[in-house]
Amino acid sequence: MRATSSKFFWVGLVGVLLLAVPAMGQQKVDNCLACHQSLTDARLSAPTKLFSEDIHAVKGFGCVSCHGGDASDPEMSAMNPAKGYIGKPTGTKIVDVCGRCHSDARFMRQYNPSLRVDQVTEYYSSVHGRRLREQKDSKVATCANCHKPHSIKPPSDPRSSVHPLHVADTCGSCHANAEYMAPYKIPTNQLENYKKSVHWRIMSNKGDLSAPTCNDCHGNHGAAPPGISWVGNVCGQCHVVNTELFSKSRHSQVFVQMGIPGCATCHDNHQILETSDELIGTGDKAVCIRCHVADDRGGKSATAMRAMIDSLRQEYDKANAILLKASHAGMEVSQAEFDLNEAKTALVKSRAAIHAFSVVTLKKEIDPGLQGSAKAFAGGRKALEELGFRRKWLAVSAIIILALVIGLVLKIRQMESAQKGDEKKGA
Amino acid sequence: MKGMAEGKLKQFMERRDFLNWFLGTTAGAFVLSVLYPLSRYLTPPPVAESTARSVTLSLKPQEVKANSGQIFRFGSQPALLVNTPAGELKAFSAVCTHLACIVQYRSDLSEIWCACHNGHFDLNGKNIAGPPPKPLEEYAVNVRGDQIVVSKKV
Repeated sequence: MRATSSKFFWVGLVGVLLLAVPAMGQQKVDNCLACHQSLTDARLSAPTKLFSEDIHAVKGFGCVSCHGGDASDPEMSAMNPAKGYIGKPTGTKIVDVCGRCHSDARFMRQYNPSLRVDQVTEYYSSVHGRRLREQKDSKVATCANCHKPHSIKPPSDPRSSVHPLHVADTCGSCHANAEYMAPYKIPTNQLENYKKSVHWRIMSNKGDLSAPTCNDCHGNHGAAPPGISWVGNVCGQCHVVNTELFSKSRHSQVFVQMGIPGCATCHDNHQILETSDELIGTGDKAVCIRCHVADDRGGKSATAMRAMIDSLRQEYDKANAILLKASHAGMEVSQAEFDLNEAKTALVKSRAAIHAFSVVTLKKEIDPGLQGSAKAFAGGRKALEELGFRRKWLAVSAIIILALVIGLVLKIRQMESAQKGDEKKGA
Repeated sequence: MKGMAEGKLKQFMERRDFLNWFLGTTAGAFVLSVLYPLSRYLTPPPVAESTARSVTLSLKPQEVKANSGQIFRFGSQPALLVNTPAGELKAFSAVCTHLACIVQYRSDLSEIWCACHNGHFDLNGKNIAGPPPKPLEEYAVNVRGDQIVVSKKV
């Protein structure tokens, strides 16, 4: 019995060792990293310092996955083209190297099943990809220009060059460089203008990462400027109501006929500033006067629409001010404040309704707002009247109490003097 | 001498009458100034008292159909009571997190919707489409007998 169990022990031990040998063999030294780390040429050693936090390193990929060669060979022969070594890929080679895995749905599913695998196809539909393939333009962006090699991180990582907060700077590293972009003869102020826009302010100051950056309008891998006739579709991804109203308006077709883009004609493209009521009408800051004059039909409509919006805003402000005054004085005005919410909603809807460029459509939104403002104002005025009433009668009751005290003092004195008189008479 | 004494007595009596009248009048006015605010305090105000934390709705639970919504006043702000298609009562702030418009329930979508800029929220108040940057604040709904009590979550 004892001999049998001893035999099982030795068979088991040998089995465990046999299983362990291949596992030990897998933990090979990466000679690429080992050698490049010790190099004094920063150009060759820097990638090794960055690579440990790269998403590919985290997932278990090494240098040879992109550069080829043999990581188990400690000699220079590791970089023999016969061993698949390709060195530093450039141009279409970069796209080929990345696409080898990223276009393979079955392979990518192992690591990130939700990641798209059409980036290469999209890239070759972009201005960058077309110029690279058709004109052999080596200056255009490829994968490695936006996804920084050796420190590639997913877009959700705040350190990533393609994190929403960094996309504009990543694109701007070429597009804001006037010298680099000179051969293309396109503006280089997009980054500067974008950073003045309301979109950038919301993203950077308010931390709202859903605000648009370059790739939200231009696409990322298929980057291209939106066409004049469909720029509205791009803005309409978020500004649905405004786009729908605009597409039904007369301006929609006229703009296409004139060859000018829908939204961007009034709101600009990169420097999209915060809108204000001053944009409508025929004033100095109004955008309508770029095409209309004050006396034409459009100018008159614009003036009328501005007057309507102004009147609602003034009525809303008036009601809001009186409610604030009453509220600060300690009066209960919650019903009136509730009524004012309707006016606020109407004001916001009116500003959107401007995009129909119709006085009739705008009036439908303005009227409920004016009614709501009037109702709220009446509530505020009633509260202030009540406050006045309370103050007045508080003063009256204070005078009454004072008079009562004086009367009582006089009465007590009178009673005392009458008592003294009676005592004198008695004596 | 006697005439002088009578004159003084008359003056004293007039002064006493005036003082009594003065005292009576001011005491009466004082009583009125106490009773009037007391009666105003005891009379219910035309507007129900609002508290920032809790509100009892004038609706009965059976009056709110499934897959419907109802705006009500929560303090000074609008709020939305939703009876989901599954028959669960939920309440949210009805102030859109984009530009503070009043949202509404869309029974065709079974979603909360803001008409101003086409913002959509699911039945957990989460912003799912359009420009709203944040979810709607959700309130706790308790049914006590025939009453629906909505209160802020702690």
